[in-house]
Amino acid sequence: MQPSDARRTPPDFVQPIPTGPYRGLNPTTKLVIAVAEALVAFTVRGWTGPLAVLLVLATTAVAARLGRRLVPFVIATVPLTASILLVNTFLFPGATDVILRIGPFTPTWSGLEAALQATLRVMAFAMSVAVLVLTTRPDELVADLERRGAPRGVTFVIGATVRTIPRVVQRAGEITDAQRARGLDTQGRLWRRVRGVLPLAAPLIFGSLNEVEELTMALEARAFSAAGRRTTLRVFPDGTGQRQLRWAAALLTAALIVLSIAGRLAFLP
Amino acid sequence: MSLILRDATYRYAGVGHPALTDISLEIVPGSVLAVVGANEAGKSTLCLLAAGLAPTTIGGELRGTVEIDGLATIGARPPELAQRCGILFQNAETQLSGTAATVWEEVAFGPRNLSLPLDEVVERTEAALSALGVEELAPRDPGRLSGGQAQLVALAAVLAMRPAYLVLDEPTSQLDPQGTQLVGSALQRLTQESGAGLLVVEHKTDLLASIAEECVVLADGKIVARGSAGDVLADPRLDEWGVEPPSTARIERAARSAGVQEPMLSALATRP
Amino acid sequence: MSWLSRQFSTRVLVLIPIAIAINIVLGYTVQTVLKLPIYLDSIGTILVGVLAGPIAGAVTGAAANLIWQYAPGIGGGSIGPFAITAAVIGFMAGLWGYLGVYRPRPASGARLWGAVVIGVAIILLLASRIYNNPAYTDPNIGGYPDWVFTAAIVIAVVASLSVAAFILIRRDAAGAWVAAAGALTGIVAAIVSAPIAAYVFGGVTGSGTDILVAALRQGGADVYNASLGQGLFSDPIDKTITSFVVFIILASLSSRVLARFPLGERLVRPDTAS
Repeated sequence: MQPSDARRTPPDFVQPIPTGPYRGLNPTTKLVIAVAEALVAFTVRGWTGPLAVLLVLATTAVAARLGRRLVPFVIATVPLTASILLVNTFLFPGATDVILRIGPFTPTWSGLEAALQATLRVMAFAMSVAVLVLTTRPDELVADLERRGAPRGVTFVIGATVRTIPRVVQRAGEITDAQRARGLDTQGRLWRRVRGVLPLAAPLIFGSLNEVEELTMALEARAFSAAGRRTTLRVFPDGTGQRQLRWAAALLTAALIVLSIAGRLAFLP
Repeated sequence: MSLILRDATYRYAGVGHPALTDISLEIVPGSVLAVVGANEAGKSTLCLLAAGLAPTTIGGELRGTVEIDGLATIGARPPELAQRCGILFQNAETQLSGTAATVWEEVAFGPRNLSLPLDEVVERTEAALSALGVEELAPRDPGRLSGGQAQLVALAAVLAMRPAYLVLDEPTSQLDPQGTQLVGSALQRLTQESGAGLLVVEHKTDLLASIAEECVVLADGKIVARGSAGDVLADPRLDEWGVEPPSTARIERAARSAGVQEPMLSALATRP
Repeated sequence: MSWLSRQFSTRVLVLIPIAIAINIVLGYTVQTVLKLPIYLDSIGTILVGVLAGPIAGAVTGAAANLIWQYAPGIGGGSIGPFAITAAVIGFMAGLWGYLGVYRPRPASGARLWGAVVIGVAIILLLASRIYNNPAYTDPNIGGYPDWVFTAAIVIAVVASLSVAAFILIRRDAAGAWVAAAGALTGIVAAIVSAPIAAYVFGGVTGSGTDILVAALRQGGADVYNASLGQGLFSDPIDKTITSFVVFIILASLSSRVLARFPLGERLVRPDTAS
């Protein structure tokens, strides 16, 4: 039984178009915004850059209703920010404005200021990553880049890597479980731990490398290396407004970078 | 026009002795050629050779000629070969591209690479999925399929390329009898409706007996017997070549040794 | 341009995601299981560089860091901005590949001992360059405390003995070149990483090596030199070990497999060509 009108577009579950504020933006727009946020946070020094970026991020996060889902990303930055705060507050070279003396420890105001600014930069960067990751599926980003003419190699590497990592993680888990059943020591003394890594690393590496030949054949057999642009399955909505936003973000970021390098932004707090 | 191998001798790169010697055979459009033989007889190598992956993609040395509709495989570019001759490998899971989020996109992978218009991509994908009865797998993640499902999806992905010739290396190895029958009738429809020429390597000689016209036996990289499928698969030397004869031949042999005479013998050997 | 497209053949494109996954999984496992101040997260990058060339290696390194940073579920940390360092590592690996550094060179007797001498000499030479770096001794531009020098000597001696043992046990003179390549790569990586760590992250990276940074600052080093000092300890060791791991992997692959990669012939011993 054939439907009277044969399907002419892919079914809805193929590259579904996201909806909702911010999520519904074109994937490339979301990417450009994230990259711009990261670059501005790092290049505009002092308090202004990171705080401005954090403000923008807070707005977009609220719009996209991300709220609690940002928490794991915040927690992931703790080892880094803790280290930044401790090392810089207590061991900032050349600082003499001591806050107080606690035994041999002499935290300084300059160190604290530098530490807090660095922490804000890290937070702004981490949040820009988080917002992108939480609102954009890798498949949708790859598909949009493909439509815009990104080389086949680039889109393949990004798409395949994102799918390969969980596969290899799973295989590593299986190997580790099998090794542990055979007595692999993951807790003991250093030398035993070092010796234990080899039975994991070797099968993992060689097992993965074996795939290369078969997958190469499989891809060639399906015309992977054919010239020309691959057929686009789904067009993610774009518009003049978004195009202007992307250009504005790119130009603004470039200008800020240049000004910052030239030292023209030193007047900012 | 056909897929033809003439005195083909192929040696893998870095190996001293050839894997296949003096292979001459022809796959005619609209027909099915069966290939049987013991393990390590060279059947998989023959598949790679016929599809042109050997020597073009994997290297090695080919003497003699392999031509697909007049295009010599040596020096041809892989996409040209892929459009003329499709290949299904033995291991279905490694055949999946690893780039598709859904089975649907996996099957559409080939047509998309050929830059076909979108409605043709959709049409070919839907047709391939329904030919193998796997439409309900379409939204699934290709990385999470069972062995049998992966095999059917991989076959659908190859069918979507609509090649003139198709080489299949043990296409039903992971399938139960129902799946085997499904694939068998899909392949028959393929040859009848689109006139594709098939080369099928199988251990399930019953399947081959029902779909193949010609058959070839490989042993140690050489062809040791060829002829119509019925004749070859009834040959008593199949055992020494490491091939299990189809059930009808085994029944006939058992009956003969039990003393059953004609015409009962022929009646037993006839397929239902 | 065909030189460039050869570096990105289908086979190489297939290898890159697998190499990146190896980087991430092994790097993560090593850091959580071994808890040593080494990363071992460049195995895949160097492997691609040696097999496919400098550009492919650079792309692998940069992509590995960026994808690790932005990947859903495992992203995070400070690895993204170091994509520059990773690209440099991959690029250098490609150069070593071109120069045939990773080709096995079986030797015996005088030639073997000659290789041991060369290998140890290179290690000691590089260590002495670090040791004698004026930045270490001049407190005005960031001196280091005394224990740094003792540690450098100890590490140099251990490294020399390990390299010598490797060459002698495997009877392979290539060990000397691999050690030199690894150590040089590590030094360059440290020099490239220090400004990134100092400028972007206030001089630390959130990993165990930060203790070293703190200790160096305690001794009087400024932000940049503390990062550089930490890098010059960790990176040469890490990259040398990684280079040896890659060397062992490549030596275990058959020449048939290697020959299909763009730089494969440079990895094959001349007498095994068939």
